[in-house]
Amino acid sequence: MEVGILLRDLDLMTLISVAEAGSEGIAVDLDSVDGLNADNAGARFVMGRLGVRVVMTRRPALAAFVADAGCLGLVHVLAFDSTGLTRALENHPDRQGVGTVISPGPVLSHLTAGDLERLPRPIVAYGLIDTPGRARQLLTIADSVVVGPDCARGLVEGARVNR
Amino acid sequence: MAGPSVKLPDFLARLAESPCCAAITSDAHLEAALASTVSTLFILRGDGLELRPVVRRIHAAGKLVAVHLDLIDGLRPDRTAIAWLARAGVDAVISSHGQLMPAVRRENMVGIHRLLLTRRGLLDSGLSAVTRSGADIVEVLPGVILPDVRALLPRLDVPLLAGGFIRTEMEARAVLAAGAVGVTTSTESLWAARLV
Repeated sequence: MEVGILLRDLDLMTLISVAEAGSEGIAVDLDSVDGLNADNAGARFVMGRLGVRVVMTRRPALAAFVADAGCLGLVHVLAFDSTGLTRALENHPDRQGVGTVISPGPVLSHLTAGDLERLPRPIVAYGLIDTPGRARQLLTIADSVVVGPDCARGLVEGARVNR
Repeated sequence: MAGPSVKLPDFLARLAESPCCAAITSDAHLEAALASTVSTLFILRGDGLELRPVVRRIHAAGKLVAVHLDLIDGLRPDRTAIAWLARAGVDAVISSHGQLMPAVRRENMVGIHRLLLTRRGLLDSGLSAVTRSGADIVEVLPGVILPDVRALLPRLDVPLLAGGFIRTEMEARAVLAAGAVGVTTSTESLWAARLV
C-alpha cells in the first residue's frame, strides 16, 4: 500500500517547512493554505519551489493548469446531491492529468455505475472516512482515500497482516 | 430568539404521515409532484420573485411548500427575502445561513438549516452553527450517507431531514432507520413509495 500525506488547513510558512523536509508523496489542498492564493501563481510556487507533484483545488481551471505543468491536478467536488454533482462535473476539465476528489468520501459507495463512469480518474475519496474497514471498502471504488492518522495506522497495519 | 413557528407541528405531522418529500428542480418535476401523493414539496430551483402562483397551486393541491433561499434565483438570502417568502405563503425556508433561522421563525415559517457533511474537521463547526441557529429542522446532505456517519453525529434536539443521492426505496428506508424524520429526493418513483 502506498502512503502519502495531504497537507491542508495550514499556513504558508508551515507548508514551506514541511515540504522542505521532503516533498515526496505530498499533496496539497491549495484552497486551504493561509497566505497562499489558489491561483496559477500559488500553484506554480507549490509545484516549482516546493516540488509538490499533486495539487487539489475546487477550481477546475487551476487543476488543468497543474496538469499542464506535468503534475497531477485534482478537482475537489463536494458531492451533496446528484444535481450538484452533475453541475460540478460539467466544469471538470476531464483530461489527462486531472483527477477528482469526492467529498464526503462515503458518498462514493452510493453512486451509480453511471455516476462513477463520469468521474475522471484518479478518484480520491476524502472526508468522513473514519474506520479502516470503510476505507478499504472505498478503495474498491476509489484509487485513493484520505484518512486521519488513527485510520491510516489501522489501514497500514491491516495491509501488513494481509501481506 | 423567535419562538417556535406555528406551522412546525403541521409540518412534522405531514412528514410523519408521508416522510418522502419531493425535491423540485424543474417545471416537469413540479407537475409530477403535484400529481403525486407527496405531501411536501421542496423548491430548489426557479424564480423566487415569481413564486406566489406556484405556492398557490401547491396549496390548492393540499400540499406544503418549502423553498431553498440559497438556490432560487432573484432573492438574496437575507431578512427582506424571508419576509417576501412569507408574503408569498411559503410554509418553510431552507438555508445554510443559520443566522437567518430566527427571522424565518419570526415570520411563522418553519426554519430548515442545512448541515453539509464534508469532513470531520468541519463537522464540529457545522454542528455548532446548527445549535446556535435555533432551526426547527436540520437537513443533512448528502443524506444517503446518514446511516454511514450517524455515529459521528451527536444527538441533536431538532428533527433531522436527509437529502442528496437518495434514489432507491432501500436507501430511503435506511436513512429513516438512521433517525431522519423525512427524506427529500428528486427521484420521482420514490414519491409514491409507502415508507411508513
